[in-house]
Amino acid sequence: MKLRFDDDAEAFRTEFRTWLASHRPSPEAMAAEPSVSTGHAPQWARDFTRKMFDDGWLVPGWPPERGGRNAGPVHTIIYMEELYKARVPRTTNVQGLGIIAPSILDYGTPEQIERYAMPILLGEKTACLGMSEPGAGSDLAALSTKAVRDGDNFVVNGQKVWTSGANYADFCFLFCRTDPSAPKHKGISILLVDMNAPGITVRPLPEIIHPENPDLNEVFLDDVVVPATNLVGQENNGWAMANGSLAHERGMVWLSNVLSVELALATLLEEAPAMLATLPAEERAVAADRIVQLQIDTVAARTLGYRGFAKLVRGGDAPEQALMKLFATELRQNVSLVAAEIEGTSAIEGGALVMDGTQSVDDPQGSWLEQYFHSFANTISAGTSEIQRNIIAERVLGLPRA
Amino acid sequence: MDFEFTDDQHELRDNARSVLASACPPSLVRAVYEGDTAGVDGLWKTLVDLGWPAIGVDEANGGLGLTFVEVGLVVEELARVVAPSPFLATVTQFAALARETGAQGDWLTRVAEGSLTGTVATDGNVSAARVGDGWELRGEVRHVIDGATADEIAVIAITDEGPAVFAVERAAVTAIPLRTLDPTLPVATVSFDGVRVSGARVWASSDTTPDTAAVEMYSNSVAGAIERAMGEAITAMALSTVATCRRIFEITLDYAKMREQFGKPIGSFQAVKHRFANMYLAVEKASSLAYFAALTIAEDDPRRATAPSMAKASASECQRLLVTDGLQLHGGIGFTWENDLHFWLKRAKTTDFLFGSGPAHRARLAQSMGLVG
Repeated sequence: MKLRFDDDAEAFRTEFRTWLASHRPSPEAMAAEPSVSTGHAPQWARDFTRKMFDDGWLVPGWPPERGGRNAGPVHTIIYMEELYKARVPRTTNVQGLGIIAPSILDYGTPEQIERYAMPILLGEKTACLGMSEPGAGSDLAALSTKAVRDGDNFVVNGQKVWTSGANYADFCFLFCRTDPSAPKHKGISILLVDMNAPGITVRPLPEIIHPENPDLNEVFLDDVVVPATNLVGQENNGWAMANGSLAHERGMVWLSNVLSVELALATLLEEAPAMLATLPAEERAVAADRIVQLQIDTVAARTLGYRGFAKLVRGGDAPEQALMKLFATELRQNVSLVAAEIEGTSAIEGGALVMDGTQSVDDPQGSWLEQYFHSFANTISAGTSEIQRNIIAERVLGLPRA
Repeated sequence: MDFEFTDDQHELRDNARSVLASACPPSLVRAVYEGDTAGVDGLWKTLVDLGWPAIGVDEANGGLGLTFVEVGLVVEELARVVAPSPFLATVTQFAALARETGAQGDWLTRVAEGSLTGTVATDGNVSAARVGDGWELRGEVRHVIDGATADEIAVIAITDEGPAVFAVERAAVTAIPLRTLDPTLPVATVSFDGVRVSGARVWASSDTTPDTAAVEMYSNSVAGAIERAMGEAITAMALSTVATCRRIFEITLDYAKMREQFGKPIGSFQAVKHRFANMYLAVEKASSLAYFAALTIAEDDPRRATAPSMAKASASECQRLLVTDGLQLHGGIGFTWENDLHFWLKRAKTTDFLFGSGPAHRARLAQSMGLVG
């Protein structure tokens, strides 16, 4: 066990920090055209993705031909920390870079990699993840969007919902049922579907925060013709691939969650002296204690994340990792709520959130109360907190299914 | 940055666990609960023969020179079996204070060889006044761990010139054992009624300069040395609480998988599952913070000024949940004297209240973070 990063890791930090200082998008450019959907990549974001790819900083752990430099996992942690500190989003197309491109690289054909994965890495295309449906939320395997083989094509019919970024994305990584007679986990396939294909209708779902810039959408698919060459991996093997795809996220997503908590807490600690000074003396100690509890949990989130990470790096199991999504997203919510409560009545002011481009659309922003509402994006999506608790109880602790 | 134990640390833990499985079975703990402390000395002799008290003592003083992380691993294993043992007070309190104050004499050597048990009396109203070339102590400290059995008591006293630390033979004080819920971690009220100390028994006063270079972090004061040592005691107590809670968690989890109602294991019900997920998170959080604090001590990182309080506060939150849910989920059987569960429940509570419960440490943190005046 050791607390500090090695010298070579700190040298790596300096190298990236220096690169970032001269190649980052300017705050002015980011604020002038903020990304308003996770499918939306403004020109500055496209240019920055391309520059990171060219210089081997897009996915440091990958080889140079895929935008990396074969960096180790500890270096990747440092890289993400530095981006976060600089207030530069690594990508505006979170699912595209984090899940979809890696999955196509893992399971796709050379043509699919050329047409779909590489354009994401080069900042030329964005992608959305077509998973949830009106009848398949937490029970994702119950999805019913149908793809029927017709010669060299699939014909797709159905409806997706909560599809982040679908209103701007160039293509969709679509989960659909190709064998209705198989058990529900065994009949699912993945198709790459161009979002401008005839038969696709996207209806944005304005959210409770920043309704003028919706990120979530309904996607209706009516007789959409998809070439069979766009089938990713083996037919009916989609569920297994879904678990593989999400594993890409599990390695590092804990860190994004923790960084989000740390930034929110740092902001709260900056504001705290002024906020506490306005409180009557008898209220101050109570408020201070609540801040202290958040501080303790924030350090706990970082150290718990490090513990799981250290095990993963060694190639072992890291049951702690299963806790991180639940812990960090609920903590992020709690930081906003406590901050709003300490802020007092003025917490109800707001309602005209202006994005400045420094954060991904799904990262809580705005006033503390807006951040609180916004934070439900993360306790509900990608497996609700309740599903996370079931997963922990069943898969990690081995409690029997009901 | 690496938060995984080394192979040597894993081995130490595994060895300790296997030794304690036979050296400290539940029957030994139960005997102590029923007034028979005959097994306590034998257990201590076993630990001494294995060299455990020497783990954290530097090699110059006859120790193994390992870090506070290794000490912490042993503290955890002892807590897992609710061991009645002078290890905690001797190693993580008495020896820590001797080292940090730069005490003259062979105190640490004697701890390492197992020929001396000790404890620390703090948070009392003991005052010391100069008499001749020494000091005279007066006052009382309650809840001193092993206060009625340890060979030596290091006492933190107030003088006109600031805080001071003295070592007093137990035979020179009045120590009255207190009846408590957990007899395996005995505490006593220790009274100093004009006890005189001088020479090597004066560990730190305005006359002494603790020569631990790192005391500079606290402006090289006696108070700094005390704070550093108490950071170790607090962190060890947090580790102890967490390890006890982890055992409660394991025992309760096994029970929920085995106990059936309505034709199913009770652990298959979602209301129960979610409690387990929350308990698991509480244990892992507190455990991570406890080892973080241990690392700040092992590496003498500046964060050791606050990390022990964070660890103790998180351990406190952890035991509130684990004791409550551990007992609740056992139902009636966990409420009986015959079931061993209460050994862990009471130990978790006891270590929570010793060296400051959660609210006390959060209040300290609020001060050090500048949130309250």
